[in-house]
Formats: sequence, C-alpha cells, structure tokens
Amino acid sequence: MLQLHFTNDTLPDNVSTDFQNLNKLSEQQFVRLTEILYQFLLEPKESERFLRQLTEFAGENGMSAGPLRALMKSVLLLPHGALKRNLTAEQVKADLLSLGLNEDKARHFSDQWRIHYPVLSRLAVGQTLMVNQLVDMEWKFGVTVGTSELQKTGNIFLQLKLVIRKGNTTENVYMELTLPQFYNFLHEMERAKASMDCFS
Amino acid sequence: MAFLTEDQFTALQLLLKAPSKDAVRQICTESYPAGASKSQSIAEKTANALSVSNSEAMQLLTAFHMLSHHVVYQNLTSPEQILPIFPESFHSNLKNLITKIILENSVTWRNEALSSQISLPKLVDLEWRVDMKTASDSLSRMAVPTCLLQMKLQDTPCISGGPSESTVTMELSKETLDTMIDGLGRIRDQLSAVARK
Repeated sequence: MLQLHFTNDTLPDNVSTDFQNLNKLSEQQFVRLTEILYQFLLEPKESERFLRQLTEFAGENGMSAGPLRALMKSVLLLPHGALKRNLTAEQVKADLLSLGLNEDKARHFSDQWRIHYPVLSRLAVGQTLMVNQLVDMEWKFGVTVGTSELQKTGNIFLQLKLVIRKGNTTENVYMELTLPQFYNFLHEMERAKASMDCFS
Repeated sequence: MAFLTEDQFTALQLLLKAPSKDAVRQICTESYPAGASKSQSIAEKTANALSVSNSEAMQLLTAFHMLSHHVVYQNLTSPEQILPIFPESFHSNLKNLITKIILENSVTWRNEALSSQISLPKLVDLEWRVDMKTASDSLSRMAVPTCLLQMKLQDTPCISGGPSESTVTMELSKETLDTMIDGLGRIRDQLSAVARK
C-alpha cells in the first residue's frame, strides 16, 4: 500500500496509472499541462476555461480530449489533498515519486507548488465558511435642522448602512448613531482589531 | 403651531380651581406627552382634581398641551417671551405659575423631543468577540482570526406602539475590520473638520 501524504484513503488503481501516464509526455508538454492545471487551481471558478484549454492541448498534441480530462481529474486529487493538509513542496514531490512520476516532472510540479502555495492557501482561507459576512459599509452624516416638535435644532447624526451576505443574497441593515455612540463604536472596533493583531 | 383660542385660554383658567400649586404642576406635566390630551384616564384624574366635568378637563388638557408644545417648538426660554402669549385678561398669578412650570420643564421636554424624533433604528448596544478558526473543510489546519459583531437596534415609532428591538450579528475578516476602521477614521476626521468651523 502506498503511503501518501496528501490522502489517507485508498486510491483507485487508475489514479496511479494516470500519474504514470504523465511520464509519456515530453518536458514541454508536461510544463504546459502543469501551467493549465495551476491556472485552474488559482481560479477555481473558471472550469469552462480549464476544459477548453485541455481540449486545445489534446488537439495540439494528438490526444483524445476525453481520456485527458479523466487523467486531469485524477491529477487534481493531489493538489486538493495537499492544500487541505498544508503539505510542503518536499512532501508533494515525495508523493509524486511514490505514485510513479519521474524525477524531473516531480521536481517541476513541486517547484510550481512552492511558488503558488501562498496564493492557493489564501484562496482556501477565503473559501472558508463565514456566517453573515459583512461585505460593505456606507455612511452619511448630517445635521438635523428642525423637527415637528422643535423648530430649530442643530443635532449631528450619523447613519450607517451595513451590507451583510446571507447565503446567496445580501441584506441591508440601516441604523443611526449619535456622536457619542459613534466614538464608542470606533473605540470598540479598534479594541477588536488590537485583539486580532495579537494573533497575527 | 397656532396660538390658542380664547376658549382655550378660558379652559386654562380652570386651573384656578386646583387645590395647590403642586396639583397644577402635576396636571401640566401629565398633559405634555403626545396623546395625553386624548387620554380618558388623565382627563378623569384632572376632572376629579379640579371638580370639573370630563369634557372641561379635556379642553384644559388640550389647551395646555398646545401651549407647552408651542413654547418648546419655538424654543422660548425666558418669561418675557412666554408671558405675552397670554391675553391681557388672563389671571396674573396663574399666568406666572404656568410660565414658571413650563420653563422648569422645557429643557427636559426639549431633550425628550430630540431623542424621540424620527430616525432610522438606533444602535443601543454593541458586542464583539474575536475567534480563531483552526480548521475547515478546505484546510485541516489553519490559524485565521475572525471577528464577530452583534448590534442591537431599537426602532421607536414616533406615533404609537412600543419600541421594537432587533439584533444583527455579523462576521468580519481581518481585512474587513481594517477597512471598516479606515472608514470610521475618515468619518471622525470629517466630524472634527466640521466641528472646527
């Protein structure tokens, strides 16, 4: 049984075969394919572009698109698992070698991993669950000139609109603060920030 | 606000029947809030205190309500500004007493008006908490601080009904919090610029 860093599950046989099939590619082809793969990892929403690039690659290199796509599906398992487990480039290279990829290609892939890892992990953090995330804040402040009870006043008011993401939709929350409340709010937020800064 | 009619000044003079100055004071302060002049229970209390009919009490309450609101609206702050409102024939001592009572309360009434004016829901309470995310389905090990903020908002309708409270809880990442503090800092700078002028 293969001891791999990126997963504890038993991999289906075809995954190992797929990685070994990568050895058949020339250096240039492997570099291009790796580039396409990392582009997709860095922009996971661009799945159509990813498939299109694979189809083009297949056409240019005399391969069929279907098997190539299946192969890439297997290959993707490694970076996904590696990201989840915060693997280093050395560990990624070790896994590739265990799966049967040759030395040069394994080194290239893990070098790319080292280069792109900071951005990929930031992306993963960004995808982490957030409850009622605050996405935007708008404000206006002004002076109340008069009301039905008081002909002339000169009160300063501050109005805030907070936009909160709830699932797929956003909700607007409107509120009004007096000046003392505003200063208190700012003070509390600075305290929260100081607390957060302790941890980073 | 229109000045009071003659009938209303006549109704005000019913206060002469009050047993004491404190009784007058109490009737006046009770009649200030919106809706007081239409309240049956206050009218009855007043009618009993002055030994007059309910409808006369109602007239008195309405008259005083209009007078006191007029003073607050125009922000009249000295006796010289208030006394001329009364007609020549108005009982002199009562006139002085009413003026004194209104002036005693006008600051309080003015502040109440300011705090209960039309506005968006007011922020009444704020709580925050900083958490550390240590794992998720996309990363089995992480150390990402995050801030949870809970705001309590109260919406007080001006016209009728009780206040309604709502709570909104939200999560802020470090970047969001930094941006928010930037924005609040800009508000503070603009406020000081305005205050300086």
